[in-house]
Amino acid sequence: MKCVRLWYKKSGLAVFTSHLDMNRCFTRAVRRADIPLWYTEGFNPHPYMTFLLPLPLGTAGEREPIDIRLTDDISNGEIKARLNAALPDGLSITDVAEPKDKADKIASALYEISLELAGEEEAEAFAKKADEIVSSGELNAEKKSKKGIKAVNLCEMILRFEAAANGKTVGISAVLASGNSSNLAAALLIDSLEKKSEIEIQKTRITRKEIYKENFEPFE
Amino acid sequence: MYPEKLEKHLLKVQKPGRYTGGELGSIVKSKDSVDISYAFCFPDTYEIGMSHLGMKILYSLVNSREDARCERVFAPDVDMEEIMRREGIPLYALESGDYVKDFDIVGFTMQYELSYTNVLNMLSLSGLPVRSKDRPSLTPVVIAGGACVCNFEPMAEFVDLTLIGDGEEVTMELIDLLKECKASGKSKAEFLERAAQIPGVYAPSLYDVSYNDDGTISAVTPKGNAPAKVVKRNVADLDSMFAPESFVVPFIETVFDRTSVEIFRGCIRGCRFCQAGFISRPLREKSPEEVKRQCEAICNSTGYDEISLCSLSTSDYRGLEPLLTSMLPWANENEINVALPSLRADNFPKELMEQLNTVRRSGLTFAPEAGTQRLRDVINKNITEEEVLSACARAFEGGWSAVKLYFMIGLPTETPEDIEGIANLAQAVVEEYYRCENKPKGKGVNVSISVASFVPKPFTPFQWEPQNTPDELIEKQDLLMKSVKSRKITVSRHVPRTSFLEGVFARGDRKLCDVIETAWKNGCKFDSWEEHLNFDVWMESFRQHGIDPYFYSARKRSFDEILPYDHIDMGVTKEFLMRENEKAHEGITTPSCREKCSGCGAARLNGGVCNEMRKTVV
Repeated sequence: MKCVRLWYKKSGLAVFTSHLDMNRCFTRAVRRADIPLWYTEGFNPHPYMTFLLPLPLGTAGEREPIDIRLTDDISNGEIKARLNAALPDGLSITDVAEPKDKADKIASALYEISLELAGEEEAEAFAKKADEIVSSGELNAEKKSKKGIKAVNLCEMILRFEAAANGKTVGISAVLASGNSSNLAAALLIDSLEKKSEIEIQKTRITRKEIYKENFEPFE
Repeated sequence: MYPEKLEKHLLKVQKPGRYTGGELGSIVKSKDSVDISYAFCFPDTYEIGMSHLGMKILYSLVNSREDARCERVFAPDVDMEEIMRREGIPLYALESGDYVKDFDIVGFTMQYELSYTNVLNMLSLSGLPVRSKDRPSLTPVVIAGGACVCNFEPMAEFVDLTLIGDGEEVTMELIDLLKECKASGKSKAEFLERAAQIPGVYAPSLYDVSYNDDGTISAVTPKGNAPAKVVKRNVADLDSMFAPESFVVPFIETVFDRTSVEIFRGCIRGCRFCQAGFISRPLREKSPEEVKRQCEAICNSTGYDEISLCSLSTSDYRGLEPLLTSMLPWANENEINVALPSLRADNFPKELMEQLNTVRRSGLTFAPEAGTQRLRDVINKNITEEEVLSACARAFEGGWSAVKLYFMIGLPTETPEDIEGIANLAQAVVEEYYRCENKPKGKGVNVSISVASFVPKPFTPFQWEPQNTPDELIEKQDLLMKSVKSRKITVSRHVPRTSFLEGVFARGDRKLCDVIETAWKNGCKFDSWEEHLNFDVWMESFRQHGIDPYFYSARKRSFDEILPYDHIDMGVTKEFLMRENEKAHEGITTPSCREKCSGCGAARLNGGVCNEMRKTVV
């Protein structure tokens, strides 16, 4: 049995697929591609497939990892080619490689966020306000988890933040805490900034560009 | 694809994957590349509609034409509808995002009566007038098909045409005609007149209905050349009929999250409450070779790991054993689970079940339908208590410790003893488990009984029978609850109010069109969803139009009454249904089509079991 890490890209209409549905979607694609996937041996056998850092509904991803296990030898290039032929529009495999880092090494992720506002003035104002709020070190929000709702200061989970207005759009580049111990969803940050700044956002597009270990080293 | 205006709202609604399109297997053609655009509408949400096999067949079939495109449309959920209405975004089709009102054909598949208000709501969301007479232009033509159109009179004033019976051939013929009429600039009236000449096409506006003082129908009169009887369409040979080998694979989880292949249409049994069994006669089988080929093709193209073999009574399929013998090695090797719904307790094949058990175990359900032998004879469910018990015993020996039993209450001639009989039968199954020597070790048994309320349906021997009122049904449910003594038995029951409305519309006439429109205007939609059913608004709508709903549901009809759908011919004759009704009241059963032809009338439609029977006679 061989473990392989798939790196995939999620964009377009596929962005509206939730994590649970992604699981189903990839399982079917792997079956269509006829990749010799290892099935768990329990009462209800299912293919072994782990999404290392699930993408929230609505967020695109440039380079997202999934671990799978194989029963037969098949080259990484073959896996990539076959899967890309089987995946629906909006999902593609960019790379297939040996897993180097363990999932618990994930510490943060780089997001690129594009916001559309009502006009140029609003965009200017929002970019300025957002910078102010983040540098103030305090942006409180309620975070929903399995254990209930808890109040958190989002700024503690913002590692880098830059916002710049361009016409009526605001481009944001942010590194946010990610992984099991501390995780900030970009959508929650934007919602909270919108509320605190009291400037309405028309359209939000979020893309996760890269996943990091400690010290912003790329997770491999 | 969705209209651009919608994008910023997509993340504010539940399960946005329902509204985006772009799924694997969806077929996108541009409007300009085809002559006819067909919007196939399912009047319920995406998760339900995407589970429907008929849609998959017709979608692939229409799209196989170069000159036509077929796109999918579903009812948006309440949160999405609110946004669409607020932002002025009309209903669109999922493939292109083009608005439904710009399609040539807007076709609804009608699987249950309680989706009627959704049809009106979807027309209105499209920006189309709900009434046929208020849509004067040739296109879009609003049509309907599916089980409910055998009596679509309560919806007669909203649709332009209905397609009765099997949809494959008639849909293609209708597209041909519309293409011609569109090209030659014909009017809607001219088109409807010509369409009514296609066998199986019913144009409600070409029939005048007059009534007696007591509210019953005095006459249904065709206008012009419209046929006095519209005979349903029947695909005689399923093997050579188009069947899809790939279809849309949803991104999101649907109600029926697996793929399905039809193994036969029709039914040999003749259970007297079952509309599907009568209106889809005669039974026509696909060959096991063809079924296997289709199963493999569909699993390969979709990637599903579960396949359901669909029919009204799977264990009556003559090819079941050869099919499973040849299919199971393939299924096991590819970790594919094969599900066999609708098994009968009297010919349930144990060896096959053991083989099926090898990938993933599914639940086991039997449908005795009634609690006593007397009542099972009345409804012609030719199953004995011994057969139910021995089927359960076989299941327990095969390792199952839970079975589900389906029953109906409110059946004609039912007495309190029949209700108690349901509890007794369930109790007997519990005892059977503890008698069984090879039962699963260390496990208790669970017998869950599900009781539905009987709804008399058109084209069944019970079409003249009164339906129990909701109060009577609740009383019977309570009696059942009291009769169940064991904790090993769980009972789930349905809300009688939905069955009541279903009963009104099933045998309703055109006078109900106004009621449906009023109820919809006052907010009724998704009536089959318990949390959305607005019963008081419905009752108020009946009152407003001076209609007594119990006239339709709780009244016993006489054999000589003109029924609202007497001008529709579903194959089985009224004389046959009368004979069956009389036999029901005498408690006499009727053998299956394979044992003895009972002369139901469907033989003139050609094909299937009727030809088998003819061959054995010759």
